[in-house]
Amino acid sequence: MQVDKTPPRIMGLYDAPMWQFLDDDRALRLQCCSDCGTWRYPPGPVCPECLSSASEWKPVSGGGTVISWVMFRKEYLPEYPAPYNVVAVRLDEGPIMISNLVEDPAENVIGRKVTLVVVDMADGVKLPRFKVVE
Amino acid sequence: MRRSAAVIGIGHSDWVADWHRVRAGERPGDCYHYGAVAFRNALKDAGIKRDQIDGLIVGPTTAYERMAEVLHMDVRWGDQADAVLSVLQAVQAIETGAAEVVALVYGNDQRSAGTQYGGPQAMGGDLFLSYVYHAPWGMTSQGALYAMTFRAYAERYGISERDLGHVAVAQRQGSARNPNAIQRKEITLDDYMAARYITEPLRLFDYCLINDGGVALIIAEASIARKLAENPVWIEATGRFDLNRAATSLEPRLTDFYRPAQQHVAQEVFNRAGIGPKDIDVFQVYDSFSVHVPLALEGYGYCGVGEAGKFMSEQGIGLGGALPTNTSGGHLSETYMQGWAHQIECVRQLRGECGDRQVANARRVHYSSDVAGKAVSIIYGSD
Ligand SMILES: [Zn+2]
Repeated sequence: MQVDKTPPRIMGLYDAPMWQFLDDDRALRLQCCSDCGTWRYPPGPVCPECLSSASEWKPVSGGGTVISWVMFRKEYLPEYPAPYNVVAVRLDEGPIMISNLVEDPAENVIGRKVTLVVVDMADGVKLPRFKVVE
Repeated sequence: MRRSAAVIGIGHSDWVADWHRVRAGERPGDCYHYGAVAFRNALKDAGIKRDQIDGLIVGPTTAYERMAEVLHMDVRWGDQADAVLSVLQAVQAIETGAAEVVALVYGNDQRSAGTQYGGPQAMGGDLFLSYVYHAPWGMTSQGALYAMTFRAYAERYGISERDLGHVAVAQRQGSARNPNAIQRKEITLDDYMAARYITEPLRLFDYCLINDGGVALIIAEASIARKLAENPVWIEATGRFDLNRAATSLEPRLTDFYRPAQQHVAQEVFNRAGIGPKDIDVFQVYDSFSVHVPLALEGYGYCGVGEAGKFMSEQGIGLGGALPTNTSGGHLSETYMQGWAHQIECVRQLRGECGDRQVANARRVHYSSDVAGKAVSIIYGSD
């Protein structure tokens, strides 16, 4: 999967820190509730469990498990010529993250363990992706 | 709620003729035009005059005020909603006395206006974040969300892509016998498997059409319906349950396939109607993608969890099968009216107006919709 640019990121009021941490130290940090410890993704105003507004941006382990995946065979976004893969990864911390495997899967990857890889896109965006580890 | 309101009129635009006109580069009209044509036909079908209507609901693709202006209607109650919620709200308005005769009007020029349901200009992104949030990773389009859902579901229960093909094949049986359908050619499982992938594991025939058109329904309070209509189609029961927790990251689709919501609604509507899945003669499912159908078969208890593939291949969902489903051809093959035309097919089956695709002695039709986390059902019945 070769892309020159990254399709636009949603940049609401709570979104910038995740991308800033990726830029600064190539680490994926997500909001973690200061009161009950629940991880939150995508970013948002309050903890989904306890509704607390207090959270910290904490680094995730980078580990996860593939729960589904698809191959785009038709082009929808000019930045992403087909074919390319998209995966749904259950992060070890709990939330599901939609992302890509750095290599298109040659076989079914549901249930496979993956680890985070921060990829430098041509336009400078640092994109969290995953690779299969076992 | 039982038999508090009935559908007394149906109408739609000629989306087959308009399909050819649009493909030839014409623009037959805007979304209000399609709504107005459908409304005109629904009035004729109901045999009533416009001034007998005191409530108006318009679909999400048109502004309420402008549609009322185009239809030249002043009413004492109104709203804007999608297909299935329009019916629920019309019934509620009638039951609370807010209105007695409600027109439901939908018009959509999505094909000629080039509406995008994926890619850079994806429609609805501001409402449903899952459409656009994952764009940096190339995840876009509703079809891809359902491809992701189907892969997880197929893996968990051992259902094959060929099993899923039964949906498209069965619906073409109906559309081949439906003069109002855009795709009239029957297909086989081999045709299905030979078609190209769009977002793998979904193929061309798993995707709905995109076309222009309009649909209108007229729903009346029970005593008025009995006076006005020879064959009112009753709204026997409705039910709804929403799953929006963690929806942007697709949690409700990928972990439970919306099943908890559908099971909740199943209990609600079947209890209210005093019947069970075995009493349903025809099943109509919102089918922007084929995947909706097996999930709804399981969610509503027409077969066991994980058994939809077996049910579709052995019992059958086509004409003559155990549970004829989307007999008009549905979104895949008749017309993509975002659930609105399904209401018309429910009414036609119960009136016995379906010609070669008529399900014999149809008395109860179940409509199921699960769009953007809302599982909603209606059970329609005839006298
Ligand atoms: Zn919390």
